[in-house]
Amino acid sequence: MTVVVGYTPRPQGRAALRVGIAEARARGEDLYVLNVSSGASLSDPTYATEEQWAEVVEELRASGVEHRAERHVDGRGGAEEVTRAAAEHDATLVVIGIRHRTATGKMLFGSDAQRILLDVDCPVLAVKA
Amino acid sequence: MTHALPEQAPAAPERARVWPEYAFPAGLLALGVFTLVDAATIAVPVSTNTVGPRVFPYAVGALLVLAAVLVGLGVRRGERAEIEDGEDVDTTAATDWPTVAKVAAAFIALVVLVEPAGFPIAATVLFGAVAWSLGARPLLRPVLVGALIAVTLHVLFTQVLGVFLPAGPLEGVPGFG
Amino acid sequence: MGDIGLLMDGFANALQPIYLVYALIGVTLGTAVGVLPGIGPAMTVALLLPLTLTLEPTAAFIMFAGIYYGGMYGGSTTSILLNTPGESASIVTALEGNRMAKAGRGAAALATAAVGSFVAGTIATMLLTLVAPTVARLAVQLSPADFVALMVVAFLTVAAMLGTSPSRGLASLGLGLFLGLVGTDSLTAQQRFTFGIPALADGIEVVVVAVGVFAVGETLFVAARLRRGPVPVIPVSGSWMTREDFRRSWPAWLRGTAIGFPVGTIPAGGADVSTFLSYSAERKLSKRKSEFGKGAIEGVAGPEAANNAAAAGVLVPLLTLGIPTSATAAVILAAFNSYGIRPGPLLFENEPELIWALIASLYIGNVMLLVLNLPLVGLWVRLLQIPRPYLYAGILTFAALGSYAVGASTTDLVLLGLLGLLGWAMRVFGYPIAPAVIGLILGPIAEEQFRRAMQISQGDPTALVTSPFAAITYSVLIGLFALSWWLRRRQSRLAAEVLGDDDVVPATEALPAGEVVDREGSGEPQPTGVLPVALLDPPAGTTPDDERGDRR
Repeated sequence: MTVVVGYTPRPQGRAALRVGIAEARARGEDLYVLNVSSGASLSDPTYATEEQWAEVVEELRASGVEHRAERHVDGRGGAEEVTRAAAEHDATLVVIGIRHRTATGKMLFGSDAQRILLDVDCPVLAVKA
Repeated sequence: MTHALPEQAPAAPERARVWPEYAFPAGLLALGVFTLVDAATIAVPVSTNTVGPRVFPYAVGALLVLAAVLVGLGVRRGERAEIEDGEDVDTTAATDWPTVAKVAAAFIALVVLVEPAGFPIAATVLFGAVAWSLGARPLLRPVLVGALIAVTLHVLFTQVLGVFLPAGPLEGVPGFG
Repeated sequence: MGDIGLLMDGFANALQPIYLVYALIGVTLGTAVGVLPGIGPAMTVALLLPLTLTLEPTAAFIMFAGIYYGGMYGGSTTSILLNTPGESASIVTALEGNRMAKAGRGAAALATAAVGSFVAGTIATMLLTLVAPTVARLAVQLSPADFVALMVVAFLTVAAMLGTSPSRGLASLGLGLFLGLVGTDSLTAQQRFTFGIPALADGIEVVVVAVGVFAVGETLFVAARLRRGPVPVIPVSGSWMTREDFRRSWPAWLRGTAIGFPVGTIPAGGADVSTFLSYSAERKLSKRKSEFGKGAIEGVAGPEAANNAAAAGVLVPLLTLGIPTSATAAVILAAFNSYGIRPGPLLFENEPELIWALIASLYIGNVMLLVLNLPLVGLWVRLLQIPRPYLYAGILTFAALGSYAVGASTTDLVLLGLLGLLGWAMRVFGYPIAPAVIGLILGPIAEEQFRRAMQISQGDPTALVTSPFAAITYSVLIGLFALSWWLRRRQSRLAAEVLGDDDVVPATEALPAGEVVDREGSGEPQPTGVLPVALLDPPAGTTPDDERGDRR
């Protein structure tokens, strides 16, 4: 039984991490934190740098919650990976950060948040920054 | 922190690529010989005094042959190609032929389509197919982006800059020319 | 009227609102495309050439000047904020600039690069203003045989110096010269190497070749070995320039300019040699040698200045002699030709209005770049987020558009594809692209001059070497070879020294990822988790003072 957090080094991602820690603590469950880049572009601001990731690891360690944190590049992209991780780890809750998107942006580039909301089998908690 | 790229493998051991090393100089040699032979068929008008239209081609042919021989000798001495480095190029990877074939096919489609179907449609096909070949998913997305870009470019070039581009079936539609 | 008066006229011309708009479009597009990964200055200029197809010459060249300077500028931003393998001209900037950025002084690095480029670009443009008309006046007296000598110099140096080995450079030059032969002989109207294809009778469009070998070749090259995975972009942090930064930067800017301009004027000198020379000079002269490799501001200021000064230096032989010494210059020469304008000694006499407006617009472009670049860093960095599939699809689409637009013929598209295959093969087998492009453009001009020289001498080939100028040129050529060979050796030794130094994390294939030494681990007041885009306001407390540097 796990709480899965889809992390991005953005305000809403950090908010999701905080909420995820609190939820895992309250439920007495493990925490699984995931940061994925599709690796499609040379620069991907949703992918944590070493420093940013070190902070995440530090925050998790300080929380005392049983956790695992993983950061990797996968061509399928963040939404698929979070969905897969939720199934694999028998998630009871998935926490993601969301933000405003324009209609055109969503049409052209899709919305990871929307895909996770629709594809994940367990409840999804959407956190705003 | 390491600023290396995540999937950059340690330098690959030198692969046995001696044969293709010779392919390029062989091609050069063939081109050089062809140039020399074909130069002899260039008609020289009677009026030409001194240096006619053949001399320079002879020189270029000779240069090509010389370069081919020099490169060939270099390869024999153990000179190996240094693959060009680039921000988006994984120099350690092997050539991904299926992707190249898809990109080439997309380009051929453009050449075939551009006049009958018009630039907006042909360019949409090219953009969508190339982006898809390079990994953009789902297909609909690169096609939509491609259509947007193709139409924008078409309108910009034909309407604003006054360059001719075939409109194909969109001929007569306002804004497409 | 003196040159100053002509320059003033040029300004009066170039400052017209419509021309300012063209200049602004040029610098913006040039920078934007130059920032994109995988696109060097020559490709930037070639890709954007079609945009100027239908403009009148003055407007076209003002826009072009902007694209040229903007494209040069774009690369440095990328190399400071990323640490990726890229063009050799930006390796040096990346060395110190990237270190500075990681130490929380990215803003200062960008500022010294931008201001240094501006200072160097402006001084070098002034030098161009002073030198070019004089050179042109002297060049008017040159005979065709003298021009042949100059072109031989250009061909040989370019072939020998650009690329990994002289023989491969020569091969590339030969390919270019062959492509230049295709078409109708201008003196006798005989068709040569047209294979009976009518579309080839007018020769191969230079734009098609340039875009084919650069853009299509690069796309195929990338498609075959696509790299996946992002590199971290370092947030722009720290204060812009402190007084100390400025004090350390300005001598480096001036030295960089002094090195870059003359190096730019010699064939195959170009940007990368000048940056390496400037870097080594700065390191030698610095009182803080230990800071080099760890983010010394002089190591960004000098090479960036040298880079831009060289860009102006390249224009001297291009405008006064009609001889391109780099691939970018060759593409610009092609643009001149497409307007029926022949750069060379007579350019200043025949087209004074155009040329002085062009030079004036170089000054204006420099100012625009200074004003545009720093505030827009966030936007430029955003361009790096374009997914590679879309980026290369876009490059290919634009390449196809440009090639079709010049002649409205599908034959050009077929040629574009074939030349793309050639460009790909050349990249894979390590043949430099630039000599081919220069050979293509300069070949026909050289042939014409050669034949004229022979006509004047009535077939006596010794006339080619007996004129005093030609004799001196050939002797200088030999000297130049010795010098360039020495420069190259210095550069490669320096590159080995600098890049091989394990204090430095270079962006070359020489160092595999696993061996990169982690020196930044902790301790730096890194502002974390801030988007580069959002971070134009430096967070408080992230301004490490200068002396502390990075020594721990």
